[in-house]
Amino acid sequence: MRELARGLAVLVLTLAAGLSARAEELVVPTFVDETQSAGVDSTFTGQWQYMVGGGVATFDCNGDGFPDMLLAGGEKPAKFYVNRSTRGGSLSFELAQSGLELDAVTGAYPIDIDSDGIMDVVVLRVGEAVAMRGLGACKFERANERWGFNGGDAWWTAFSATWEHGSEWPTLALGSYIDRTQEIDPWGSCTDNWLERPAASGGGFAAPLPLKPSFCALSMLFTDWNRSGTQSLRISNDREYYTGGSEQLWHVEPGQPPAPYTAKEGWQTLKVWGMGIASADINGDGYPDYFLTSMADSKLQTLAAPPAGDKAVPATFKDVAFPLHAIAQRPYTGGDVRPSTGWHAQFEDVNNDCRPDLFIAKGNVSEMPDFAMKDPDNLLLQGPDGKFVEVGDKAGVASMQIGRGAGLPDFNLDGLPDLVVVNRNHAAQVFRNTTADAGHWLDLDLEQTGANRNAVGAWIEVKAGDFDMRREVTIGGGHASGQASWLHFGLGTMADADVTITWPDGTTSKTFRLAADAFYRIAPGAEPAAWQPG
Amino acid sequence: MSARSLAALAAACLFGLGSTTLAFAGPAPEEVERTWTNMVLLLTRHTPTYSPPVASRTYAYLTVAAYEAVAAGSTTLQSLAGQLNGLTEGPRREPGAAYDEAIVVEATMAPVIKAMFENTGPTGQRAFQAQEEKLRAATEEGVAPDIVQRSEAFGAAVAAHILDWAKTDGSPEIVNMGFPTDYKLIPGPAHWVPTSNIVQQQTPLLPSWGKNRPFAMPEGASCPPPPALEYSEDPNSPFYKQAREVYDTKNSLTADQAAIARFWADDPMLSFTPPGHWISIALQLQQKEQMPLDKTVDMLMRVSVAEADAFIGCWQTKYTYDLVRPVTYIRRLIDPKWETLINTPPFPEYTSGHSVSSAAAATVLTAILGDHYAFTDTTGGKDNLPMRQFGSFWEAANQAGISRLYAGIHYRAAIENGLAQGKCIGTYTVNLKTWKSPNA
Repeated sequence: MRELARGLAVLVLTLAAGLSARAEELVVPTFVDETQSAGVDSTFTGQWQYMVGGGVATFDCNGDGFPDMLLAGGEKPAKFYVNRSTRGGSLSFELAQSGLELDAVTGAYPIDIDSDGIMDVVVLRVGEAVAMRGLGACKFERANERWGFNGGDAWWTAFSATWEHGSEWPTLALGSYIDRTQEIDPWGSCTDNWLERPAASGGGFAAPLPLKPSFCALSMLFTDWNRSGTQSLRISNDREYYTGGSEQLWHVEPGQPPAPYTAKEGWQTLKVWGMGIASADINGDGYPDYFLTSMADSKLQTLAAPPAGDKAVPATFKDVAFPLHAIAQRPYTGGDVRPSTGWHAQFEDVNNDCRPDLFIAKGNVSEMPDFAMKDPDNLLLQGPDGKFVEVGDKAGVASMQIGRGAGLPDFNLDGLPDLVVVNRNHAAQVFRNTTADAGHWLDLDLEQTGANRNAVGAWIEVKAGDFDMRREVTIGGGHASGQASWLHFGLGTMADADVTITWPDGTTSKTFRLAADAFYRIAPGAEPAAWQPG
Repeated sequence: MSARSLAALAAACLFGLGSTTLAFAGPAPEEVERTWTNMVLLLTRHTPTYSPPVASRTYAYLTVAAYEAVAAGSTTLQSLAGQLNGLTEGPRREPGAAYDEAIVVEATMAPVIKAMFENTGPTGQRAFQAQEEKLRAATEEGVAPDIVQRSEAFGAAVAAHILDWAKTDGSPEIVNMGFPTDYKLIPGPAHWVPTSNIVQQQTPLLPSWGKNRPFAMPEGASCPPPPALEYSEDPNSPFYKQAREVYDTKNSLTADQAAIARFWADDPMLSFTPPGHWISIALQLQQKEQMPLDKTVDMLMRVSVAEADAFIGCWQTKYTYDLVRPVTYIRRLIDPKWETLINTPPFPEYTSGHSVSSAAAATVLTAILGDHYAFTDTTGGKDNLPMRQFGSFWEAANQAGISRLYAGIHYRAAIENGLAQGKCIGTYTVNLKTWKSPNA
């Protein structure tokens, strides 16, 4: 029976037929839609001001290790669900009152702002953004005034955060969209993105700094693109609404005003309908690569020039989506051949084969007849030759709903990333990853004492056999959706792996050999502590 | 008749409108046309199917509609029925009945725009609706209900007539943003191949556009340019030398040449497109000259028709020769790492669309405003492109043409022969008879 299951689960996919003589076995994952049985019933809805957004925040707020979730509702109040799943079992959620049930919510990102060990949440809204302080036991309270957080009044659509060196409090980037008062000519009316840095007096935030120019951000990500030890701010902007704009990368150096990267530094003009950023080291060069969702063609960017010696790495990226088959420009199933509209993107190794795979939520903006109405979400598996293969339909995640935000946390802690997708005007969906022949895995949680409890800005290196995987700890990206849960690594056939942490302050841990298929909490200067649910 | 109506009647006589035509103190009818045309430029930029050929077609139908609606009540203008290919006589006004020209123009243009941009996104739909509500309220304020009703009905009838005419021009349905999914590339080194890694653009844009029914010229091939240069890889051949010129020029651009290339880039979805750029120039001229309604509808119609014919003629040529782009040739034979200044458009090279369309526009504008008409073009202002000044329309057209060589996307032959082709095409529009009196 097991052999039969394996036969069903494993498809032999010939990668790059005609280009490579290798025919490799890729484990095609299987997902089961458990939305109804899991007790999840949430819809992101609303008129024009909710054509973008529709995020989900996944994080553990009751200390049981299982990711709970907050789903944006648009014009309706957001919904919060406590995760009642058991390890390896079916997904189960309980609707609960948390204090996060705000209206006009477009998205949400978990972040322990005050570094008290309890996750807080920044809630993006049409109107005022709200910083919600975690009280424990999945209860939250408004903390804008307490922390000096200015939520402004804008169409907030993007968020990211970092801890600048030497700061006790995070630096928050908030991305905004169109001036929603402009009806006849809203184009070119992008409102300012904000940078909220720690207050000089200590504790809380200073007045916001406008990031001028701003170009209608739909995704932001603090990321150490050049491994300098300092995260820069990458912003993906919607070219539909800006004039004279482009994608952006900002210097955010401690004590210095933020400044956009320039052409002299290698940053090249790129104009896309930027909607989401996903990041992972997909080519093993040790540097993060970026997938940018858009309408029709998306982009997959790698550093154009590898670093050489002590010379500064130019901030120049090349698009490798086409040669690596990381393409999602139109539906791959369902018969609708019009161009696609991509939103949330996220890399996770969903079959535990040591290679990052890519999920993309898709969906029409709003009755745009030139774009696909039946636009299946994508699941692109990376193969041994680095190229991607579409398996969304085979894996059971080719939802034709109007996708927006998403997350891929391991809801039932079985070592397989599950999936939640928020849809516009349709119910959100949760999928359980039931892949029978996935590889071994390792789930890690970094914990510092003092500021920056979750080690944002750290790099984790995991060596498993021939694979050398690196992952940056970030807050931001995707489409209006943040995830703060176990950091997942697939290990393939390896029963253990060597793990090294480069902490945000630049110190490097010793290398730990950790047994596979287990959870570990790791703190600076300490041995990893194995953890088990329950 | 109210005092406001009397004042308007005086204005109507001054602007050459018929004796049964009224204009009230709301927006002047030429202002209504300018407002709607500005909105159309915005919608062009923000509607993904609006490549340059598609945009040129919409401008033509829209401005012909406005022209015909106004001409039907004008003492100075005559209809284009029987002059433009396939255009039959349209609705007539009730003899002796009063019409408000601003309402007529509003009621004519709005349905045409709505039909032509039914596929625009939610923000475009919202903007259109807000603009329509605002214009309708402004034009109808203080106007007698029977005049409002009559003027609106007439405008709607003209719009329907023009939209019916548009359905018969053979224009393809725009699917996949104009990139066919079943197109077979023509083999051989002389022929076009995709120039980017954009998956959607692995086939060329709108290959059948040259078969569309033109407006003023008889057919797409009415102004044939000389054949494209004979393809050769011999370094002494004219073809190689022209490619080398593109390579050398782009690699040694002056700051002003680079600025020129960017000023005229007019990329779809990031600008008003090349035909929209010339419509934008015409709108600036209309304001500068304070043109009355008859001259406004005449000029905008002529520029638009010339642009539409230019894209039909140019596309007919492009898919006759299917010539390889400089970036392909240069990377194959001269420098594999060479980059153009701006993205190479996803369709064959010969002739240059910018050159053909700019020459067509210059031809009609020169006929209207003269040989040495100096003007300033502020089209790119919102995109931080500095305004540029020109001593004549041909100076602008020549600059638009050569900008494509600076950008690295056209050989000189496509520019020079394209300009000549555009002049020929524009002449058909110049020859349209719009004025009842030759001295108007």
